[in-house]
Amino acid sequence: MADTLNQATRKGFLVDTARCIGCRSCQVACKQWNKLDADKTTNQGTFENPRDLTPALYNRIKFVEKETSGEVTWQFVNERCMHCGDAGCMKVCPSPGALYRTKDGVVAFNKEKCISCKYCVSACPFNIPRYDADSKVSKCHLCIDRIGGGITPACAKACPTETLKYGNRSQLIAGAKAAKKTLYGEGDLNGLGVVYALEGPPEQYGLPANPHIPMSIFLWKDVIKPLGILGFWGSIGAMLLHYVTIGPKKIEEHDEEVRHDQ
Amino acid sequence: MISKYIDRFSTKERVLHWFVTVTFFSLMLSGLGLYSRLFNGYFSLFGGGSNAILVHKIAGVMFFFSSLILFLHNREKVTEFDQDDQEWIRLRGGYLSTDEVHLNVGKFNPGQKMFAIFIGAATAVLGITGIFIWFPESFPRWIVQISLMLHGLMFVGSIMFVVVHVYLATIGNPGTLEAMLWGRVTRSWARHHHPKWYKETTGDNP
Repeated sequence: MADTLNQATRKGFLVDTARCIGCRSCQVACKQWNKLDADKTTNQGTFENPRDLTPALYNRIKFVEKETSGEVTWQFVNERCMHCGDAGCMKVCPSPGALYRTKDGVVAFNKEKCISCKYCVSACPFNIPRYDADSKVSKCHLCIDRIGGGITPACAKACPTETLKYGNRSQLIAGAKAAKKTLYGEGDLNGLGVVYALEGPPEQYGLPANPHIPMSIFLWKDVIKPLGILGFWGSIGAMLLHYVTIGPKKIEEHDEEVRHDQ
Repeated sequence: MISKYIDRFSTKERVLHWFVTVTFFSLMLSGLGLYSRLFNGYFSLFGGGSNAILVHKIAGVMFFFSSLILFLHNREKVTEFDQDDQEWIRLRGGYLSTDEVHLNVGKFNPGQKMFAIFIGAATAVLGITGIFIWFPESFPRWIVQISLMLHGLMFVGSIMFVVVHVYLATIGNPGTLEAMLWGRVTRSWARHHHPKWYKETTGDNP
């Protein structure tokens, strides 16, 4: 597979959380462009809605409500596929082409090639992929059908405050650094395709401080897999070696005759 | 006239063993493509990955129960290790030298016992982790992540043990395969490989 990542030409988002007003235009624009149905939700005493990503919700605004000295403050953070440079989903996907990297560095998917194993659900460091009613993977694909033609992704196009900025990833990072922003995801997992400018520690936004591919997934793919292949051929080799050096335990036929003669 | 043969495995035991064998290799072939993309070609045996997963699930349920029954059927014979077994283990069953060794082995030698215990344990682990992997959205993510790792690890352990098992039961010990094919072994085979069992079965001194 050609899943190579060119850091210089890679496209991505900069999410400047300080600018977000929680209008959720991004959610709506995404649904409209990707022809995703509305999810029926129930009021749970918060403005956050829906409360989680769904197969029909590729990105959403997470409402972080905090109470400090009697006053409630809100922080808004856009939750979606991070398009990791080192993507856990792609690492475990057994079906070539079901999850793939585009030349823009996007982690895209092809439902026709998805074999419904759901390994990507478990391997994602951010718990993003969801499975639809047909048991096929669904998540943000960074509007590959728009950016391929040079058009801004639907969510960023709809964002009225420029919280969501789409463009060349390294230029977006350079611009944010020039503005003295604290960045999240610049180097994690070989660089996240979605880089955040945060005003506090990542945990406050529900983001892992040190995102990484889950340890057991790493052990499976990078330790057990190669050692297992070695072990299999090693045991076959050991048996062949035993056969030609020590040899089989043969029962000599004459033993039998000797006994009868006794 | 005394028969040249003595019975070792009943028809039921043989059928169960080969049922476990067929489901094991079905699981291996359908699971290889899930273990790594290197083995993606094995999916085509089943007409694609989705079908391979379906076969893996069906064969998995069949293997789980049949293998567990096989283990439970032999559980007393394979979980007790006596003095003679310790001697067998000390001498590695005589497999690492060409010298003739005389070991007082019962129906199963300690190597066979350890193989049975490992496969019994692996069946339990593979079955339980398999359920978590089957329904990943119904369990905490860390459980499914560890299950994916353990499922691979137990497969690797099983296939390595199976390679040894197949070798020792076929070309490594001529005359052994017949026990699982037709149920009987020759008297001389029994006297050489399992003298204690030979005495228990026939009453003769080996």
